[in-house]
This record gives sequence, structure tokens and C-alpha cells, in this order.
Amino acid sequence: MCVGLSAKVVSVNEGTAVIDASGAKREVSADLIDDLEVGDYVMVHAGVAIAKITSDDTEETDEIMESIQ
Amino acid sequence: MNTIENTKEIISSYKRDDGKKLRIMEVCGTHTHEIFRLGIRKLLPESVELISGPGCPVCVTPVGFIDEACRLALEKGAVICTFGDLIRVPGTEMSLAGARSKGAVIKTVYSPLDAVSYAESHPDEQVVFLAVGFETTTPSACLAVEKAKKLGLENFSILGANKTMPNAYKALEGSADAFLYPGHVNAITGTAVCEELVKKGVSGVVTGFTAAELLTALAVTIQLSQTGEPFFRNCYPRVVKPEGNPAAIKLMEKVMTPCDSEWRGLGIIPMSGMILRDEYAGFDSRKKFSLPKITGKPNPACRCGDVLQGKCKPSDCKVFGKVCTPLHPVGACMVSNEGACSAYYQYGNL
Amino acid sequence: MTDKFVTLAHGAGGKQTSELIDRVFKEHFANPDLTADDAAVLSMEKGKIAFTTDGFIVSPYEFAGGNIGKLSICGTVNDLSCMGAKPLYLSCAFVIEEGFPMDKLEEIAAAMAKTAKEAGVEICAGDTKVAGKGQVDGVFITTTGIGRIMENANTSGKLAKAGDAVIVSGDIGRHGCTILLARDEFGIEADVTSDCAPLWANVKAMFDVTNDIHVIRDATRGGVGTVLYEIAGQSGVGITLDAEKIPVADEVKGVCGMLGLEPLYLACEGRLVIFAPKDKAGDIVSALRKCKNSENAAIIGEVTEDNAGRVVMKTEIGSQTLLPQPGGELLPRIC
Repeated sequence: MCVGLSAKVVSVNEGTAVIDASGAKREVSADLIDDLEVGDYVMVHAGVAIAKITSDDTEETDEIMESIQ
Repeated sequence: MNTIENTKEIISSYKRDDGKKLRIMEVCGTHTHEIFRLGIRKLLPESVELISGPGCPVCVTPVGFIDEACRLALEKGAVICTFGDLIRVPGTEMSLAGARSKGAVIKTVYSPLDAVSYAESHPDEQVVFLAVGFETTTPSACLAVEKAKKLGLENFSILGANKTMPNAYKALEGSADAFLYPGHVNAITGTAVCEELVKKGVSGVVTGFTAAELLTALAVTIQLSQTGEPFFRNCYPRVVKPEGNPAAIKLMEKVMTPCDSEWRGLGIIPMSGMILRDEYAGFDSRKKFSLPKITGKPNPACRCGDVLQGKCKPSDCKVFGKVCTPLHPVGACMVSNEGACSAYYQYGNL
Repeated sequence: MTDKFVTLAHGAGGKQTSELIDRVFKEHFANPDLTADDAAVLSMEKGKIAFTTDGFIVSPYEFAGGNIGKLSICGTVNDLSCMGAKPLYLSCAFVIEEGFPMDKLEEIAAAMAKTAKEAGVEICAGDTKVAGKGQVDGVFITTTGIGRIMENANTSGKLAKAGDAVIVSGDIGRHGCTILLARDEFGIEADVTSDCAPLWANVKAMFDVTNDIHVIRDATRGGVGTVLYEIAGQSGVGITLDAEKIPVADEVKGVCGMLGLEPLYLACEGRLVIFAPKDKAGDIVSALRKCKNSENAAIIGEVTEDNAGRVVMKTEIGSQTLLPQPGGELLPRIC
């Protein structure tokens, strides 16, 4: 449905941001995220940052598994 | 024990004595793809069945949409900008790749915004972006239209086939015991839809895309299904917030409005699509080029529709693997890498 | 000759053709065997000869880490090397588009000369044609090569055996990724250079440590994944890969992640896939790692009796899956 790429924001400028995923850089739209800052991690889809990412998947899944056991 | 081992243990040790299977539908095609790529099916016990749902925009885009795009390219001379996924999808007579070999200009783009930039730098060409996708992708098409409007571009329009999930879930009711909800759709829409569904007895978990996230979502589904109560869990909280992405929702509501929409194989699902509002009619390729209503004719032997609803496995279809292969696809589910048929064919019966 | 662009007259066979040949090709390719006659006259030692040809079209014709000239030498040199043959002589045929910049043609010829020297091969015959504007895309080059097969070498795609280790000579997918970026269609920037390189020295280094090498093949278009399927089919064996051991540069991973591509299907132009008995694999990898262009060689999998004709991947979560058979156009996916 939607290939998403998690990437680090390296610069922000008037509704656009440059993101870096393992050294691959691209300009994406930052219009849909408030207060985007350099150093944030975002989920990118079709050239648009669609969400801020708040932790890594290991931390996230550890917490979920603990909560159900 | 780390999370991956822990989840694998929960998944593989699941047993039930009633002879039934726990049927889990991964709605999102990217989930289908990753599940195959990681070999997750091989870890499942007999008592769990994974069904690949209709969450691949390529797979649910009707034949007529490809026909419309080919006509715009070949008869109206429009430059077609599209995601790579659509290039090989069969239309009634030809795919976009086929149109290209007849001289159509078909450009693959990463983002709808790139199509706008192309239109801006090529004022003598009429540029049509093929807007497919679910709530994850639709905001990018809306941003493109807004940008084109701001720039005053008269040579950019979109051929829309945008779809929304809520009513599709209704159409899929009963196809599975639980859904793995498409994380990146929920990143936009939030989790209210899922909360509604659980009140109606429909279970599911919002699922991310890494190995740990997919396994966790499956383990959680298996654990919670044993309580006997309908359940909902957000297993992708690092990306999916309960409220989703309000700016994206607002933008979509500004630029587009719900409409009935045809899903390949499922037919017309009421209010399951998005269409440009009247204020943006100038950016609607159908209106701009006065396209007649085109009804595509899919190959009657193709059972993509049944596959998408979990009514049959790809291998139950007569043309699967024989006439219909990834190099010569008959149905859309064989085209897209994440299509259920393609995934079954490529990753095989290992 | 002061022409700044190639014209149809340069291909007409007259004075301007000789001028072009003298100024661009003779200037760079000069060696005792380069002929002005209808064919080069060469001496060969006794033994078996390897003989191959390859056509090169690439858009754009120059890219990070090389150009079509370098590519055209590497491709044929590497095909010969894979047969355990020391590359000796090459011919090259150019089809040049009318209007092609003369200085670019010189750069291409210079890259060919440099790469040929590095590979220890002589360019000894050539041909030039000029095609009308739009009939070709810039310049197309075909190279044909002859090499002498070492007495101790016996490699073929049919010889992979259960128990062999599968080795790649370096991180994969760089060339394909570089070309993708050079076309600038997706607005992505990354510090990736092509792996394009002549690999005779690397092959020689392997044979210096063992003769027991069953298959060597250079991965080109279609990438390492395509080679693995070819060998699995030709030898009638299965191949099991260990996903985590396949070397891929971070930047290549990043670009692939963005576009939904699989590095195993991206083109390489300087990477060998080697099949050899497991007990020799360590020595082969050590030998490769000492050579230029194969510093990060690695064992990535093994050959099995079962799953004949298929390539199976051990995945990061300790499960198994089938590597999808490559085919069709490589298209970025978003959905």
C-alpha cells in the first residue's frame, strides 16, 4: 500500500525539508508536519513527510510485548 | 529473550483444538511484500492463515483507469507521469508500457510534486499525473494540485483513482478474524476508524513494516484473539498517533471530496474514493480533456477480485502461473510486486 | 583537425575519417599491434583461446566512476577473465551520433586506453561509423576480445556443485545505483560511484591460491540476483543466500529504500560471483581482499542439492524465503 522510508531531517526551509536515509538525500515536502526540526526523524512517502517518528522499532516493540504478557 | 525470538515463539506455538484457523488479513500490499520477503509465512503454525487483502492501489485500480491513461497519452498527446508501479498493469488493450512502445510519453516519478515541477519547466506539454493510492498517498496528490494552483499552471492535471479504506473494511467484513491495519494509512487517518470497528466486533492491530513490527503485530493478534473479545491495538505507535496527521486530513478535505469508487474485483464501493472538488475542476484530467466514460474489460478468467477478498488463493485461479505470470500479467495482482498473486508466484511454495 | 563536433563527414570514409582516427583513436590507443590494415596480425601462444563480444549503450554516457569507454573495456575484459583467460587483444567499434562533442569522444578514448593499460590488454583494431542525429543516443561501443585461458583454469556456469561456497567480490549494486542517480529522474542525491573496473588481476590472484574454482561470472545488468539464477539453472543446483552477509553500501541501501528497489537486481560492472569448494573459500576471499576493487569480498551463501534451479534466502529473522526471479523492467515502486 505504501512504501515508507524513515529518514533524518538535515535541513528545513519554507515547507520543504532535505532528508537523509543512509546517505541518500532528497528534498521532500514538509507542509504536513508542524515544527519540523533538523535532527527529527520522519516517515516519508511519495516525496512527502507524513509523520514524525518518535522512537525506534526495537524500543517500540519491546514495550508492546511487555504490555501484553 | 529478545523481541523477535519472543514473538516467533508466541506465533509458532499457537494451537487450537476446534479445527478452525485464525484468519488474519494483512490489508496492506507492502505488508504482503515484507511478509514474503522475510519468510514470515514459514513461521506460521497450521492454525494461522494469512490472507492478502486489497491494500495495493495497483491491484484495486480498475482496467478502465489504465485505458483512460493510455487514451490521454496516445490520443491527447499528454505526458503521463506515474509511479513505477502502474507501468505494467494491463488495460483492456494495452498497459502503459505498451502505450510507450507506440510512442506515448510515460515518465516514472517518485512524487506527484515532481510531476508539477516537470509541468512547470515544460509549459508546452500537457502533464497528467496518475493519482492512485490510499489515504497515505492522497495528500501528496493534493499537495501537487495546490502547488500547481499556486503556480498558476494550466498544463497540469491529475487522473484520479484515489481510494479510502473505511468503507472497504465494511465490504471485507467476515473475510478474516482480524486485520493487520495498514500503518501508513493510519499515520494519516489516525486510529478512530479502528476504534469504531472494534465496537462493531471487528478486531485488528495497526501494524508497522519492520521485521520486529510485523512479528509483534502477529504475536499481539494471536495473544489477544485468545481472550475471545474483539480487540484493537496500535502496534505502530512510533509513527501512528491516535489523531493521525491533522494537517493532511485538512488538506484532503479542502481539495477533495468523497465519491463512489470502483475497485478492481470488488466492484463499486460507495463513498470509498476521493475526487477533486469543483473549485479544482481545472486540475481534473477527465474534465479538462472531456474524457468519455470508459469501462474497461478485464480478462474474465482472472480471479483477482476473489483473491483480494480472501475468497480464493492465487493458486486456485485457472490462469495463475500459466497464462498469468509476472512477465505477462493478466490481472493486477500479478503486476505489482506486492500484489498477492505476484508474491505467491515469486516467493513460491517454499 | 579543429572540429568541435562529430559530423557525418567523419564517418564518410574520407579525409575527415582519417583525421578523426588519427587524432582521437590512434593518439590514445597507440601500440605495436594497432593496425592501419584491414585486420590486425597477432601471434598467440599455444593453448585454449577465449573469445567474446559485448555491445555497450548507457545513458548518460558519463557517470560517477567512469564513462562508456571505461565500461566497454571492463565488460569484455571481465567476460574473458571469468573464463580464466588472460585478456590479450581487443577490437572496438564505435557508432557515434552526429553532433557528438569531440572533446567528450576524446575523454572516452582516453578512458578506454587507461583501462586497457590497467587490464594489460591491447586495443588492436577498430571501426568508426557516424549515424544521423537521433539515430543513436550519443555513442554506442562494441568491443570484442581474445584471451588465453590459463592451463590450470576450468570454469563454467555448469560446474557449481553442492557444497560450494558462493562469493561476491565486493559490495553490490553500485553501478545500477550510480546510473539511476546520474539520470536525475528522482531528485535523489547520494555519494555513490560505479563499481566499473577491470578484474583480470583479481581473477589471477584467486588462481594463485587455488585452481579449484568452479564458476566465475561477472554480474552486469540484472545484478547478482540474475547471475545466481543463471548458475542455479545451468548447474541444476539450489543456492541458499544469507541475507545479512550480502555486502551493500549504506548509500545504495538508502537509494533502494527510497525507491523500493532490491540491490540484488541492480547492475554491477566490476563484481564477480565465484563458486568454489567451501574449504577453499576463505583463501579466495583473503586473496581478493588484498586486491584493488575487491577489498570487501565476502562469502554470501552456499550451493545445495535441493531446491534445484532456485535461489533461497535466509532472512534476517532466521526464516527462509525464495528470492524472486528477476525479470522485466526495473521500476521504482511507491505503493
